[in-house]
Amino acid sequence: MLSIGQVSKAFAGVQALDDVSMEIGENEVVGLVGENGAGKSTLMRILAGVYTPDRGSLRLDGQPVILRKPSDANAAGIGIVFQEQSLLPNLTVAENIYLGQEAEFVRLGIIDRRRLNDAARRQLAKVQIDIEPRTRTSELNFAARQMVELAKALALEERTDRHLLILLDEPTSVLEQRDIDILFARIRTLKRRASFLFVSHRLDEVLAMSDRVYIMKDARVVAEMPTGNATVPQLHQLMVGRDRHAEYYRESRQKPPSPKIVMQASGLTVSGVYKGVDFTLRQGEVLGIAGVIGSGREGLTRTLFGFLPQTHGTLQVNGQSVRLTSPSQAADLGIGYLPRERRVEGLVQPLSVAVNVTLASLATAKVAGLINPLRERKLARRWIEKLRIRAPNVDTLCLNLSGGNQQKVVLSKWMNARSRILIFDHPTRGLDVGAKEEVYELIRDLSESGIAIVLTADTLEETIGLSHSILVMRDGQVTARFEAPPGTKPSQVQLIRHMV
Amino acid sequence: MRTDTATAANWLSLGPRIRTSAPFLVLIGLVALIGILKPGFVSIDTLLVVMADTATLFILAAGVTFVVMLGGIDLSIQAVASLSSVIIAVTLNRAGYWAFPAALLAGLAIGCFSGIVHVWLRIPSFIVTLATSGLAAAAALVMSQGRSITIGDTGRSFLSWIIGRFFGVPNVIIVAAAVGGIGILAQCYTAFGRYSTAIGAGEAATWASGVKVNNQKVIAYALSAMLAALAGILLAGRLSSGSPTLANELLLPAIAAVVVGGTAITGGAGGIGRTAIGALIISVVRVGMTFIGVNIFAQQIVFGAVLIMAVAATIDRTKVLIVK
Repeated sequence: MLSIGQVSKAFAGVQALDDVSMEIGENEVVGLVGENGAGKSTLMRILAGVYTPDRGSLRLDGQPVILRKPSDANAAGIGIVFQEQSLLPNLTVAENIYLGQEAEFVRLGIIDRRRLNDAARRQLAKVQIDIEPRTRTSELNFAARQMVELAKALALEERTDRHLLILLDEPTSVLEQRDIDILFARIRTLKRRASFLFVSHRLDEVLAMSDRVYIMKDARVVAEMPTGNATVPQLHQLMVGRDRHAEYYRESRQKPPSPKIVMQASGLTVSGVYKGVDFTLRQGEVLGIAGVIGSGREGLTRTLFGFLPQTHGTLQVNGQSVRLTSPSQAADLGIGYLPRERRVEGLVQPLSVAVNVTLASLATAKVAGLINPLRERKLARRWIEKLRIRAPNVDTLCLNLSGGNQQKVVLSKWMNARSRILIFDHPTRGLDVGAKEEVYELIRDLSESGIAIVLTADTLEETIGLSHSILVMRDGQVTARFEAPPGTKPSQVQLIRHMV
Repeated sequence: MRTDTATAANWLSLGPRIRTSAPFLVLIGLVALIGILKPGFVSIDTLLVVMADTATLFILAAGVTFVVMLGGIDLSIQAVASLSSVIIAVTLNRAGYWAFPAALLAGLAIGCFSGIVHVWLRIPSFIVTLATSGLAAAAALVMSQGRSITIGDTGRSFLSWIIGRFFGVPNVIIVAAAVGGIGILAQCYTAFGRYSTAIGAGEAATWASGVKVNNQKVIAYALSAMLAALAGILLAGRLSSGSPTLANELLLPAIAAVVVGGTAITGGAGGIGRTAIGALIISVVRVGMTFIGVNIFAQQIVFGAVLIMAVAATIDRTKVLIVK
């Protein structure tokens, strides 16, 4: 029914999809698995009409289709149930189901609410859920909203003569087991009406639900198989792919950390996000945190820099008990943060390299109480040399730098502030291979100079390669801990077992 | 996607280099134009008069510049300036020189109030300052009992520092120059100025760099209202009266001056030096309109149009995805 032919898509030079081909048949549930960053989301967004592919084609029933915007996808019979839900909380259930489609209910310029609600009731009946369409969406719980999303996607049926394809993006990641069972039962019934593309980190669910599964790795499809004879370990192995190269991550430069503890968490909890996290971080140590989206590792990272203060448990920084309630408090304690959203939280992009370098430590650029431009530029020049930042000069605006050099500017900001603990949140995201290696080299340099690092990396490979020790999280809790000295590092399969 | 939505309006935007020097060229052009049409205009005496007339507008606009730089707006300035003029008119006879710091402190208090409400309750600045504008206007009405108050002879003796001249230069120009000098110093060489620019250009990154963003915002609103109070003092001095509507009709030109000077309404780029150019442009346009014979009541139309054109030319639409 839908065939994806050799689709490629790149963002700022980074290949997100590389020559991807897939087939989805009528009344078929197709699973799609892969690590974070493997390209699943990009593919989903292309099918949803959010992105257009650089190369390749989409065909529906043999006819080429071009999806330039979400409404094109709807017209082609493609509906989406997003992981981050798309319902508007201030509208009623019926209004949400028919958002943008009100025209069919309009009489004399006024929406006939009774017909709208009746139509919505019919859609809700398809997913066998008993919700009054006039309910305000914000009053529903997450599982019910998910069902409404599904009903909204199914409402497409009446607007297109095409066969429906529904994209399910991590539909179970925040559902309770009971609701997952209900969802799956509905999908099994709905298979008669539509095809599904099902993306999930929970491999057992994918195997249970899908007829066939595609495995993606590094922007490519690496395998395709019927689920009948596939096993979870087999999928793990395929998702992980080739073996790690020890030298890629500069493992020979990994030295044992000093025994001095700089950060310690016990029973650290943010209600509803993660709970009971214990760890110690020593001088010169790289502590990797592994886990899929929704495992709580993002939240944990945010707690360590004051974005998301803990609700329970204790955090000690240099032996002092703290509850970090703002980034400025964290920065004052010598903590630095390299965010995943480099362009939003890392750099003030429209300003110069020099301004960004001193932003967290303006006092270092002052002489007699006033900012001294000469001194500031000298500092910036020193970091440009030290970290080999490729910028024409210190006045270059950060938005004109490449991703790798931007990352180095963020790093110089914290080094200039003499931070002793650095939180690296996906430090190599969006970087090309060369820039990644430079970051690895820098992490080793930092570690050697006694700086402690908490690392959440893009891939497991990176986490294992760079870390001294690894914390594995799942569903908001630590499920395993590994020591990862050079030579006897744990394998990805060992980790993944505790992640999904 | 972003670029697609932006291109439609981008033809209005100028390149960054032209954007920087354009206001100055426009000012020179306007002065030259009027000079050609009316040769007497380009003389030291006339120019001093224009600059003296610009002084209060500039001081108002300089205050707002602090707020606009970090991405906010202060709509309370004309009410604060009027209130300040009333405070002067009412208290000058009794309090003498103490009336001036009293008026400034009132402005400072109002500005701190706006700033604190804005950051604590996380209410958009235009709403908060619109509300404080009402408070200030009401206070001025109550104090003056709704009348314009003429400053008597006793009071007038305390106003000589405003009306007087120093080596032929009107003192208001010197006050404005001092405000401009200190303002530029604050914006270029202090942490407050640097953080304001950074907040305007990227608040999330500035916050995530450990900057206490809220404190900087409160300072900006405090400075804005305090300078508005100073402008009110100068107005009271020059007109020898205070009135709850004295500074009405000055809000629009003041904000126009900021934007015409080249400070981005979204924040992060610009400064008080540019506002000085912008204020002079507004003044010269005003003089020019009078010269051409535009009805004085219709002049706000021109300021409104100039404001929209200046924002259209300076805004970076690639950064603004959704306009509310």
